[in-house]
Amino acid sequence: MLLFRSEAHVDRWLAGREPGATIPITKLAELAAAWWHDRLSPDWQPRSREQSQAILDRLGLTGDFWRLG
Amino acid sequence: MERADIDLRNATYQRFVELGRAPTAAEVGATIGVGEDGVRAGWRRLHDAHALVLDDAGDIRMANPFAARPTDFRVEAGRRTWYANCAWDAFGIGAALHADSRFETHCPDCQDRIEISVHDGRPDDASPVFHVLVPAARWWSDIGFT
Repeated sequence: MLLFRSEAHVDRWLAGREPGATIPITKLAELAAAWWHDRLSPDWQPRSREQSQAILDRLGLTGDFWRLG
Repeated sequence: MERADIDLRNATYQRFVELGRAPTAAEVGATIGVGEDGVRAGWRRLHDAHALVLDDAGDIRMANPFAARPTDFRVEAGRRTWYANCAWDAFGIGAALHADSRFETHCPDCQDRIEISVHDGRPDDASPVFHVLVPAARWWSDIGFT
């Protein structure tokens, strides 16, 4: 889960390995806000896999790669 | 999850934020009036529930998004600093604190330093991209690598 200068840098770093998923940093910021916003709340409750999946789905992170185990 | 374990988890996170590093079992125990053995037993249940991550010695390794060990994601918010486990977590620290933040890391390809300031949840530089190598189904099978 790393940041690269650009997609070209990702491709060069992979050096022919199977790629994962690349998303814009702006999408990552949205994902982090949705995923972590309640982490320090005194009302924090554990999230179910379905609730976590719903966050990914809502941000358009769909398909097999983004399907939680 | 039992209420007592949620309280232990919340106290662990609170101390992590206050100290700028992972708290010891004794430090958390002093906060909630539980002995060190009780804290460690509770931490193990929280680890098994994926609410935090312990190392082989039973100490805190990750209280996501916070990292106990130095990483290439150093985050500053409100004049304090923490390490994050990854780029997602680097944004996550500011999100969890509900504060503007700044972090630095390096492009794994060219080693150039990447500095990001986050205001109102938005990065000041939209040019970098985020790459996840491991599919979501396997994120927890090796959380350290992921």
